[in-house]
Amino acid sequence: MTILNESGVPDVLSPLAAARSLPARLPGALVMIVGTRTEAYLAQTLSAALSPDAARDPLHYMILDTDKPPEQGQMASRVIETCAGVSNLRIVFLISGRSAEMMSVDVRFEARVAARRLELPVMVLDPDPDPRSRSCLSTSLEDRALAALVEVCRESAPDRKPASVPASKRGGFLGGFLGRDRAPDSGVRRSPVVLLGTSRGAAVDLSADLRRVGVEVSGSVPAIEPSSGSVAGEMPPIGEGTVVAPLDPHLTAACRTAEGRGAKVVRTLSPIGVDGTARFIQDVAAAVGISVSEMGRAREAWESLDPLRNRIRGKRVFLAGDTGFELALARFLADAGALVIEVGTPRLERRAMSSDLHSLGAGVDVVESPDGWGQIGRIDAARPDVVICSQGLYIPLVSRGHLCRTSLDLRRIGIHGYEGARRVLDLLVQTFERAEALDALDL
Amino acid sequence: MRLLRGIYEGPGSHGILRVVASMHDVWAVLRALPSEGYFQALHGAWTRSGEPAPVSVSPVWEKSAGSREPGDVDRDLAAVVRRHPRTEAVVLARSEAALLAGEPTPVVTLPENETGRSPELVTCEWERVGMGEAEASDLALADIVRAHARPAEKSATPTVNVFGPPVFGPGAEAEYDEVERMLSLLGIEVNARVPLGASAAHLRRLPRAWANVLLYRETGDAATLYLQDKFGTPRVTTPMIGAASTGAVLRSIGELCGLDQGKARRAVWSELATTAKLPWYARLQPPETFRGRRVAIFGDFTYTLGLGYALAREVGLEVGACGTYLTHLERDFLFHASTFTDEAFVADDPERVADRLKNSEPDLLIGTYFEEEIADSLGIPFLPFCPPVLRHPFVQQPLMGYRGSSLLADALEDALRRPKQERSEEENAPPTGLPWTDEALDDLEEIPAFLRGRTRRLAEERARAVRSGEVTRKILESSRD
Repeated sequence: MTILNESGVPDVLSPLAAARSLPARLPGALVMIVGTRTEAYLAQTLSAALSPDAARDPLHYMILDTDKPPEQGQMASRVIETCAGVSNLRIVFLISGRSAEMMSVDVRFEARVAARRLELPVMVLDPDPDPRSRSCLSTSLEDRALAALVEVCRESAPDRKPASVPASKRGGFLGGFLGRDRAPDSGVRRSPVVLLGTSRGAAVDLSADLRRVGVEVSGSVPAIEPSSGSVAGEMPPIGEGTVVAPLDPHLTAACRTAEGRGAKVVRTLSPIGVDGTARFIQDVAAAVGISVSEMGRAREAWESLDPLRNRIRGKRVFLAGDTGFELALARFLADAGALVIEVGTPRLERRAMSSDLHSLGAGVDVVESPDGWGQIGRIDAARPDVVICSQGLYIPLVSRGHLCRTSLDLRRIGIHGYEGARRVLDLLVQTFERAEALDALDL
Repeated sequence: MRLLRGIYEGPGSHGILRVVASMHDVWAVLRALPSEGYFQALHGAWTRSGEPAPVSVSPVWEKSAGSREPGDVDRDLAAVVRRHPRTEAVVLARSEAALLAGEPTPVVTLPENETGRSPELVTCEWERVGMGEAEASDLALADIVRAHARPAEKSATPTVNVFGPPVFGPGAEAEYDEVERMLSLLGIEVNARVPLGASAAHLRRLPRAWANVLLYRETGDAATLYLQDKFGTPRVTTPMIGAASTGAVLRSIGELCGLDQGKARRAVWSELATTAKLPWYARLQPPETFRGRRVAIFGDFTYTLGLGYALAREVGLEVGACGTYLTHLERDFLFHASTFTDEAFVADDPERVADRLKNSEPDLLIGTYFEEEIADSLGIPFLPFCPPVLRHPFVQQPLMGYRGSSLLADALEDALRRPKQERSEEENAPPTGLPWTDEALDDLEEIPAFLRGRTRRLAEERARAVRSGEVTRKILESSRD
């Protein structure tokens, strides 16, 4: 494996494109973009253009004026007024980046004022990358949103003895499930495990897998089944003694926040692909003192994937990279028999991704900060069988005769867990089949 | 500080990129934060042309000393020419964050391109935070034209330049095609289409044309004014929507190109007989189809006014409201719109626009993609004829010219097919007619003023839906869920 830093400008969709999906994923959330016309336009137009089926615009926009910066407290008042028009509100996100800062508007202060008066969490999400890591991922905003949710979680459970809480009083789907599943004689106090991830399906699947091996999952951030109560109430407590298991390697801000609270973050493979999922389950179990072997389950999973693997074997894959999950996906595809030509990643967080990096095959090139134009040239030269790329490269690459899927397609199907592994292979097989059918046409 | 539920126009940098992405041999460098990359994705999704947009990003980030990585604006501008040696002009667009960072305008000599010349550098120094897309596209096009246009002899036979909408405009390419088709009937050639499809060579020869036809004032106004002042090229500015306006434009062009009046008249007659169906539709339909029917139009400048004229004069609909979001063109818009409606307005807040349009009690709504929801809630037909639009079909249809007039006729026929429904007594009640209980009114008072109109409307709709004679606190609550 070679890691090359190309120091280019990767084609990464603005993280603001994800703003519109926040209220849908977090019921009871009000999302307001605070900044310039640019930020409002990107948040509004990108998701409308790229996923026209998305819900009608649920966002609010506060456009700041350079000539007349708002007086202190004025923005908080407008946020409060807006909230008054919305019922069942449980959390407010103000998406505000560098522009507001450069206009000398202290959005965090305004958020604190509004939070105090609304008695609701009002969290500021910065879509811009942290100046140290510079390059951003299209998933950065989701990472920041999760970090904000972790901040909102209670630090510790009022009562750590779960057996004393009747199952009927525990909120949501997980509560009921856990109440039923718990062996009455399990007197050992183990650290509760919290799953951290943007995909609800992934959290459901993996908590079921973890429960199967006897790991107590106290919940996930965001909550799997939001109730109508407060956001903090339905999410598990995160603090000292909690074991946090991130489902995606790019959730760096969220993991940092959890660590800041004293929680232990499990650094292992991401639960993407068969071996990744198996290692994830084993390592999370190990983190709470349970020794399990997922070898058998993994073998079964691989066997069931055999027909699909036969179609993937030897296929040459190029991952251009914009979301941060490409390394883990490349690792899985290589294990499944594909030849990974290049894995691009706009940002390489070595600490968070070290396990995924180490398990990549020897012949794989990892390119950090790849240059979008340079990648088009390399793809033209290498002629891979399939390219997994960002939205911006998709159409230009298709027009050059390459078979492409976007990272958004993969995120839509859900790539986590054993079932996710099947869906990934299935998606690629279907892509190949369709291409073959189209190529066979005599036009 | 303004609180909005949506914005009609993108930022200035987006307008500049739209103009550049419309052209050949011109490249834009967008100076922006790494989190502001979007244009390739949007361009791909909306044009589906397969060609990457000629736009690269120069990221605003901290650079380590001596590093040669991107982020140095001078070097990034020069890199464009090295990477794309056919480039004949490089345009610098700055996102609002980049403008706020207060960088000086770069002074840089670009390396030579493959023709051995240094490309023109257009730095768009007038860009400022808060500027809208349309105004910036107008100024950017004028700057690009200024950088290229060279004095030239007029062409031997009459030719005109067509200044139309930039890329992403609804049916933009079809509009140019339609105008070119009509001009060919007059025996007039198109010297250049600007900005869509224009190359540097086209831009250099702009002054050869006998006249400039300004189809889309939002983007071509400043450029055609420059050509008029500098090279004396006259311009025709009437929006070419509807058969009457199209005829007027063709006659003006004929006059400017020295054609004999009979030729223009014959061309117009032949088109009216074969292609232009709007006047025929207006004659075929019984007058009752249009009598007392109100249309509300909202959008940009050209399409909104063009449709307003055509529907009011040629079709005979009553224009109950007509508005634009282009605040920088407010005076001109109100002047023109007042010729066919008493209810002209300028507003860029979708909530206010919704109130104005709903209050006009229209039977038909024509607007941008934002207004579709309003038509749905009123249960009236909607035509998405004004930009911005979200649908960008493979087959583009013109709305301008004679073919466009026929498309308009078809759309109107579909929309107005059902006879005007006499509203039932219940529906006939004025929108604010339902009584409110004191408690509900108290609750309404707590809702911020800018959301109150919408809340009131929803609550009253809800009350009617549940057949309640008044709006109670409970109904108000349930309407807000």
